[in-house]
Amino acid sequence: MMSANRWMATGNYFTAYRQEQRIFATHTDRLMFALFLVVLFSWPYFIELSTKHMLVIDNILIAVIAVYGLNLVTGFAGQISVGHAAFMGVGAYTVASVAGVIGDQHVLITHAWPLMILLSGLMGAAMGLIVGLPALRLRHLYLLMATLSFQLIFQWIIGSMELFNQGQFMYVGRVHWFSGEVGRSQHYMFWYYALLVTVVVSGLGVRNILRTRYGRSLVAVRDNDRAADAMGMHPGLTKVFAFGLAGFFAGMAGALQAYLNRGAGFETFTLHESIQYLAMTIVGGLGQLTGCIFGPAAIRILDLQVESLAQWAGGILPSSLDLATGLRPLSFGLVIVLFLIFEPRGIANWWRIIRSYIKLWPFRY
Amino acid sequence: MKTKKISIWLVVAAAALMLAAPGSSMAGEVYKTALSLAITGPTSDAGNPYSKGAEDYFRYVNDMNLLGDDTIECTIRDDKYETAITKRNFEEFLDMGIVFYLNYSTGSTLALKRDFDEVKMPTLPASFHAGNIEGSDYIFLPIASYSAQNIGLAEYVVDHHEGGTPKVAMYVHPSAFGREPVKDIEKAIEAGLDIELVETVEHGQDLDVTAMIQRWRSKGVEYVISQTVQSPVATMLKGAGNLGQVAESFGEEGKMTFLGAHYTGGNDLIALAGDAAENFYWTTSYIVTSEPGAGAEAQLELAQRYGRDEKTSNSHNYANGIMVAQVTTEVIRRAKARGNEINKENLYQELLEMNGMNAFYPVTTVGPVTYSKDDHQGVDTLQLYVVRDGAFRAEGKPFISEYAEKIK
Repeated sequence: MMSANRWMATGNYFTAYRQEQRIFATHTDRLMFALFLVVLFSWPYFIELSTKHMLVIDNILIAVIAVYGLNLVTGFAGQISVGHAAFMGVGAYTVASVAGVIGDQHVLITHAWPLMILLSGLMGAAMGLIVGLPALRLRHLYLLMATLSFQLIFQWIIGSMELFNQGQFMYVGRVHWFSGEVGRSQHYMFWYYALLVTVVVSGLGVRNILRTRYGRSLVAVRDNDRAADAMGMHPGLTKVFAFGLAGFFAGMAGALQAYLNRGAGFETFTLHESIQYLAMTIVGGLGQLTGCIFGPAAIRILDLQVESLAQWAGGILPSSLDLATGLRPLSFGLVIVLFLIFEPRGIANWWRIIRSYIKLWPFRY
Repeated sequence: MKTKKISIWLVVAAAALMLAAPGSSMAGEVYKTALSLAITGPTSDAGNPYSKGAEDYFRYVNDMNLLGDDTIECTIRDDKYETAITKRNFEEFLDMGIVFYLNYSTGSTLALKRDFDEVKMPTLPASFHAGNIEGSDYIFLPIASYSAQNIGLAEYVVDHHEGGTPKVAMYVHPSAFGREPVKDIEKAIEAGLDIELVETVEHGQDLDVTAMIQRWRSKGVEYVISQTVQSPVATMLKGAGNLGQVAESFGEEGKMTFLGAHYTGGNDLIALAGDAAENFYWTTSYIVTSEPGAGAEAQLELAQRYGRDEKTSNSHNYANGIMVAQVTTEVIRRAKARGNEINKENLYQELLEMNGMNAFYPVTTVGPVTYSKDDHQGVDTLQLYVVRDGAFRAEGKPFISEYAEKIK
């Protein structure tokens, strides 16, 4: 039995699980989401941003796709991973190494790029499934060590093998669209739209996964894997599945990054980057889909602000002191610690509070 | 009456405009350039003095009116040695309308190589990696490549070694920056350079090198050529010193003579390694302030003028930064002298014509800067220095690597 008015949140109640699992609880939610999408797709026609800022926005969107994956494995399935940048690297180097072998101007790279991105996602997923295997037997710190090992093995392989140009930058050609080659002047705008479509489709994909029995089993295993086992779920396979999903999104994000940067270099996929993605997930909100958007945006913007502060400090402090070098890790560490202490549910929780306030207004509760 | 008042105001306004007009034309042009480098973070020990060298020289050009009323505005941004930030900085610089660009690391130079060519931006990186200029029209190395420096050191070993083929080990950074010169040394050996390359070690962050030194000893290594940065070299020298393996004179029998390319040496190495740095052989194309001369005096005066501390003033990376700023200024000056518009294309043409009688002689390098369509390495000449009593002293005359030319 549903309320008569599907536009209002008030008075809604459900009589079936299917109703509770709806993506949009009310028509208002659906409308707001549609309007939000219209704004996201149309603002470039009204506001002119510098190339630098378009690049920052593109990088935020790539991080959003990567964090979808990390949040699935860490936030929803409760498994810790510090090798997420390496999964992204698998995706990026899938495109870059194919380009290295067949030529970076090959039609497969320049025209079939959506296929290459998908292929990179599948490579990431395959690697995720392999790296996730220890999750069948390991938990907590031991699993962390396994993912850390993967990160280090990835760096070593990329830095040593000729196929990956020993970590040196590998080029990826410019892509083609219906209007021909995407030139330098349209590059960042083109990828903004390509990334936006990927973010929206992936976001809806994640939301749908979470509605399925597989998605719900992720949360069940996170909350109590023995109880989940008793209820007929396979905790080990569920965790491996979570790593596979994480690898898929990371692989796609890596491929998109390779296309955006027109190549891949190993320094984009180091342990430091993995920790940054973990910070984005924590700050955004573990186990919150909206957190996957807030986290990357917050960390990337913080990065820009700290950069300005470090530059200013570097200019006035003696070079021997080099305090500016420490500002960045200090600020990231501080932000993570403060969020863990004061807002463990992340920025997504602020968004939830704001939404519920607006929904209930003028009433307080 | 009212009409008369308006006429007076119009005359006054016209006079003001006339007075203002020559003033504005005398203000001169502002030429925008930019530098992105690691002022903080990894390798900032080199990047920091480098940025100050470039900054000071551009200030000097403007303060002394070396370009007449025109000035150079060089925006310097810290990229923390991260390619992603360098890329962002470069895009910002393009929006600002720069006409000449100074870059820093090997990684970012390789990553942005195609961008430089696409936007036809003449670029001078601080990285002397030979791969930077392969397939690029617009990247120019300030001095001889790492490969040329390492081969030059190997040639010096061959020329001064007594008895048989010298046994050499290479100690390199685990990256393109470290590996590429090894490949070129191997090519030089194939071309006839008479050394035996016993082993190549890619160093990690180990603080103990005892096993490595002992292994080299057992393999009969006589010379170690380093292609990395100062701190691992300092660790190696200290370790070798503790084991009594550092030769006290070049090629001392039963011991090892240590040599290194540009980024392995300088005063920072002496500060890190202390006495263990004695008798370390180092090559670069820059002058050092421990050797008196016009270049050293000029460098110290510039540093003093802008209040730099002693460490920065005496850094070879300060000289490095000065040099790229000098080249930038020189191409602008030459383009101006020809009456050409100061833009990317004309400055690029000036670089291509900087050879023969048009070679440029900066006071802080040991040889002239020469570029052409086929030559994108600036100063080909190298100077060997050796640490004596805690300071780098020139050893012999400046030279040009013979095999580096042969394997091209």
